[in-house]
Amino acid sequence: MRVSTGARSTPGSGRDDPQLTLLPLASPERAPEPEPVPGQPLWLAVHLPHLALDALAQTDSGSSKPLILTEDPARPRVHDANRAARQAGVRPGMALADALAVLNAPIVLDYEPEAVRRHLLTLAAVLLQFTDHVCPEAGQQRVLLEVGRSLRLFRGAEALEAQVRYTLRRLGYTPRIGTARTPAAARLLARLRHPARPLDRDALRRTLAPLPLTELPLPAADIQALHGIGLERIGDLLRLPRQDLTLRYGTQLPELIDRLLGDLPEPLPRFHPPETPAFHLEFDQEVSATGALRFPLKRLLLQLEHTLRARNHRTQGLELQLLHRGGTATRLTLERSQPGSRVEEWLELWNIRLSRLELPVPVRGLRLAAPQLLPAGDDSNGLFSSRDGSRDESGFLARLRARLGDDAVLRFAPTLHPLPEGAQEACSPDAFPAPPGGAATPAQHVVGAALWLRPLQPASPPGPLDWLGRLEGGWWAGDDQRRDYAIAPDHQGRLCWVFRDLRTGQWQLQGFWG
Amino acid sequence: MSALEELLAYPGLWRGRGAGLPATAPTRSSGFAQLDRALRGGWPRGQLTELIGAPFGSGETRMLLPVLATCSREQRRVMLVTPPATPWIPGWRQLGVDPEGVFVIRATSEEDIIWSCEQILRHPETGVLLAWLQGSRSAPLRRLRLAAGAGDACAFLYRPPAVASQPSPAHLRIRWQADGNRLCLEVIKFTGGPLPAGQPVVIPRDARCTGM
Repeated sequence: MRVSTGARSTPGSGRDDPQLTLLPLASPERAPEPEPVPGQPLWLAVHLPHLALDALAQTDSGSSKPLILTEDPARPRVHDANRAARQAGVRPGMALADALAVLNAPIVLDYEPEAVRRHLLTLAAVLLQFTDHVCPEAGQQRVLLEVGRSLRLFRGAEALEAQVRYTLRRLGYTPRIGTARTPAAARLLARLRHPARPLDRDALRRTLAPLPLTELPLPAADIQALHGIGLERIGDLLRLPRQDLTLRYGTQLPELIDRLLGDLPEPLPRFHPPETPAFHLEFDQEVSATGALRFPLKRLLLQLEHTLRARNHRTQGLELQLLHRGGTATRLTLERSQPGSRVEEWLELWNIRLSRLELPVPVRGLRLAAPQLLPAGDDSNGLFSSRDGSRDESGFLARLRARLGDDAVLRFAPTLHPLPEGAQEACSPDAFPAPPGGAATPAQHVVGAALWLRPLQPASPPGPLDWLGRLEGGWWAGDDQRRDYAIAPDHQGRLCWVFRDLRTGQWQLQGFWG
Repeated sequence: MSALEELLAYPGLWRGRGAGLPATAPTRSSGFAQLDRALRGGWPRGQLTELIGAPFGSGETRMLLPVLATCSREQRRVMLVTPPATPWIPGWRQLGVDPEGVFVIRATSEEDIIWSCEQILRHPETGVLLAWLQGSRSAPLRRLRLAAGAGDACAFLYRPPAVASQPSPAHLRIRWQADGNRLCLEVIKFTGGPLPAGQPVVIPRDARCTGM
């Protein structure tokens, strides 16, 4: 795998300058180019040289502590290093022992190819909002986008590129983007951070010609051989007759040139996102305070928002797993009554939930999943508050439930059951069944309009009574009940709602009248 | 015609010739003429009302049913925070309260209860808040008073008799007590005016009288 070397040279492209990403990259040496024709293929290569590093959530943002990722446990080498470590002289490919010699107490973590691959697929899902043809190349830490048909929507290649860059920066990644009419050329330009956007064959030729041959994705032996005959730049290679190249180097090299210039099409598979999106984030250090989870969580929610937007879906519930050492996890879920995808809506609810949580063990990572997706309708709040009792625009009930628990907010729906204790059922505020047929049943009328229900408890025979009525029911279900209902004031002043069981003569307290 | 009556019943409306006492704050009619007079129009909106007394079940909820039914007709929510028993919804429905608009909030810690009440009072769809506060501290009520001022809901806080002697930021404090077939209400604090003089207000708590 090719690993980029060296610290970044231009200050504007550093990861700490998100505000600059809104502006298109200035390139004074470049003459104004014709705008690409919408509809013609145009490829955007997004190269993420520091993906393994970006994939780690920095628990203290802007930390100056050196961090290195190592690969190859048999003979540990540096895979990538953060800015602090690179400034101290650590370079990718360096032996771990050498790196440790120049660093003061760095954080050393293992490079996990599987985690990096997962992140690349997440980004591919995020980038689906710009085009329907996305192709992640996991081994190369790269995603290719065919944006020719999206240009009109995003107002040109430059604006689209800026928006891709801005989106990825906000998610915490440092992309290098190259734009060209062929995927092969876009890859090349992305890796070199070349600002040109060659749209036709001639411009592409002009752009590629001064680049060194070593940038071509060729085996080292081939490059060596080309150097041997005096070729230094890609332009030197392009000038040579094609037949001679085939004779001398086989078909691989001419085919590469054809792909670069677009003479040979390069079909790329289309990426299909998983049915239920899930997002992972590992921390560089273990976290034991819930407050420290908010920033990484926001990043995950941002990924979720972009992914759902790309798929034109929303979600009503989210599941968050706090991953601990040893493969255990704490599982939290949130449900809202209205589906949504926006970060702010979910973040507030999660903050409420997390602030009430005591972490049993330190957290190493987060996993956020949306178990069920709903097709998006209109993802905006109404201008006026609706008076429909079942809607919850501001997430008010969801906020209550996030803090108090899912079963802490209830409504009660009347049923047709004749006995008072079965005449209603608790339901969550989201789902309220349509009341069965009009007003109260005769059985419910006969026992009176009491207000409060209690678990049944035997009562002593009351004093003066105010009789309500006789209820007979349940005989069809084998639970024959015959009750005489009454209101009985007790000596404390309460109005008890009582009944006498006609079969046993026993008095029971059903609830309170007032 | 009913719209006109509704308008005339609004205490903020000045009708010349002193048809009623000048009202200082928006209110909701309590449904009892005598009580409306004592409260200068009805239950205050956007303010805290403390109902102090015991035991639960003496008719102190039924007393508020006219207000609850009015809110229900206006499609505003009735929020019950930590009631000591489960509401028997068929009964509420018979008295004109739509079950769909009645929400029960369960919470255990005082902090949670106050926080929930705050959220509820600030929400524009809340019509009436009924909260049963067991704690005797009055300090958290200041937060609630601010929240109540942000909306226009009627906020009723049921509190145990012991707090009657403590100071409280509530706008209106009423001590209630069951007395035979009646419920005696004694206003012990009423911000912005003299206490209604004389006898406590007595409202019937007869079984069949629903106050409608």
